[in-house]
Amino acid sequence: MIAYLLNLAQLAAIFGLLSVSLNILIGYGGIFSVAHAVFFGLGAYAGAHVALDLAPDILLAALAAALTAGVLSALLALPALRVRGEYFVIASLGLQMLATTVFTEASDITGGLGGLVGIPPPTVFGVSLADPLAFLLVCLGFLALALAVVRLLMRASFGRALMALRDSESAAEALGKNVPLLKTLAVLLGGAFAGVAGALFAFQEAFVNVESFTLDQSVLIMAMVIIGGAGTLAGPLLGTVLLLALPAALTFIPGLPPTDIGAVQQLIYGLAMTVLMIFRPAGLAGRLAGRR
Amino acid sequence: MSALLSMRGLTRRFGGIAAVDGVDLDLAPGIITALVGPNGAGKTTLFNLITGHLAPDAGTVALAGHAIGRRAPHHIARLGIARSFQDLRLFARMSVRDNVLCATEPASWFWQPGGKAARQARAERALAATGLAALARADAADLAYAERKFLSLARIIATGARIWLLDEPASGLDPASRARFSALLRDAVADGVTICLIEHNLDIVIELADRIVFLDQGRKLAEGDPATILADPLLAAIYFGERA
Repeated sequence: MIAYLLNLAQLAAIFGLLSVSLNILIGYGGIFSVAHAVFFGLGAYAGAHVALDLAPDILLAALAAALTAGVLSALLALPALRVRGEYFVIASLGLQMLATTVFTEASDITGGLGGLVGIPPPTVFGVSLADPLAFLLVCLGFLALALAVVRLLMRASFGRALMALRDSESAAEALGKNVPLLKTLAVLLGGAFAGVAGALFAFQEAFVNVESFTLDQSVLIMAMVIIGGAGTLAGPLLGTVLLLALPAALTFIPGLPPTDIGAVQQLIYGLAMTVLMIFRPAGLAGRLAGRR
Repeated sequence: MSALLSMRGLTRRFGGIAAVDGVDLDLAPGIITALVGPNGAGKTTLFNLITGHLAPDAGTVALAGHAIGRRAPHHIARLGIARSFQDLRLFARMSVRDNVLCATEPASWFWQPGGKAARQARAERALAATGLAALARADAADLAYAERKFLSLARIIATGARIWLLDEPASGLDPASRARFSALLRDAVADGVTICLIEHNLDIVIELADRIVFLDQGRKLAEGDPATILADPLLAAIYFGERA
């Protein structure tokens, strides 16, 4: 039971980092991307290769993953960032479909459908992190770092500029904000943190394949951010814990056949999303409308 | 007096319609110029062409003799040309203070030129001047209508720009708020700011404008002092939609 809970906590920390990274785009930048699993995947493959081909050092893997996912996300997003709003959603959907195909077909790099297997347990400065609690603490450390960076940036001029373009691109431009540059920096930052989450995920699973980086995963990450409260610091974490805990909690309901858990989960998701959008459209941690 | 901002032959078409058609216009420094005309005259499009939000099909825009046409809006804003929007476009989910602070931070990078203390002082001065200091922590979305109008002006004041393009800045304000608003514009002009405003309310135009430019169907029909322009029966007929 302890091992199960530790595993769940590791996943919560990794997906928490992932949803915090997407929140930079959706919550603060108003950039609705449904391709975040792509950047997660790029980081996972980069981290896995560092561990398999160089050394299983978690800091090295995280750095390689952040650079790969950050730089590639910015490069891939550059043409898409020229369009606004719903057009970017469509462009990111195209990127997601394209990347899923590339992850499947580029088997020399990604291992194809079989994925990359046998990723060794991580180390940090030569010390093994094979102990689940130690690995959990490292995951929480990365999550805390991401939260600190986001909090710092969003209280500074960069955050104000990003939120300004979220609320009105044309007004932000009229105040001297370089909108394409801001969007690119936001995607780079979000992509880099998603990449780190990917590297942690590769170590946690000791295996990566394309099935973890599909459109379903992108939608799940987006749901975590929106249900928790986009544009808030705590919201994405709340959404992550809720959406990860739900399937786990359902397994403890007496009399519910394991084969029906998936269907019940979908029912609860649908109902919860509908109720939430009616009563708390800004998410659980978001502001209530019409305060004044 | 030589023009601070000059437009020559400025033209913008949308399909077969010329929204702005060969307009020549000079904004003299330190005065208020009002753009007047019926709906669809091309007033807001003209602002969009000056600020780079739209690219002209033909013509030039020059700031103090230097061509600035076809530059990106953020480049033009950094040259000291600030604008407001008819629908205000406040940063609704940000606080009033952050809306104004944002206007003092022109860079889009992780740091800003100049001192933080100076920028904050400028923002606080803009908040105090517009009477919004007590509401600084409120979200812009929670402001009343008149307060939103003043926040839009506070952002412009905070930019430190020397040219203000104001799109119906005082429409819908009650008389007391309007008087306060007008006083702020007069103070700015006294400090050397050049203002061009679009306004449908002729009382405001008479009260504020030193010069009027009359536009109709994208073309400049007349230009001159308020008394002359507003006394012209033909322009009045066009303005009130009474032409044959």
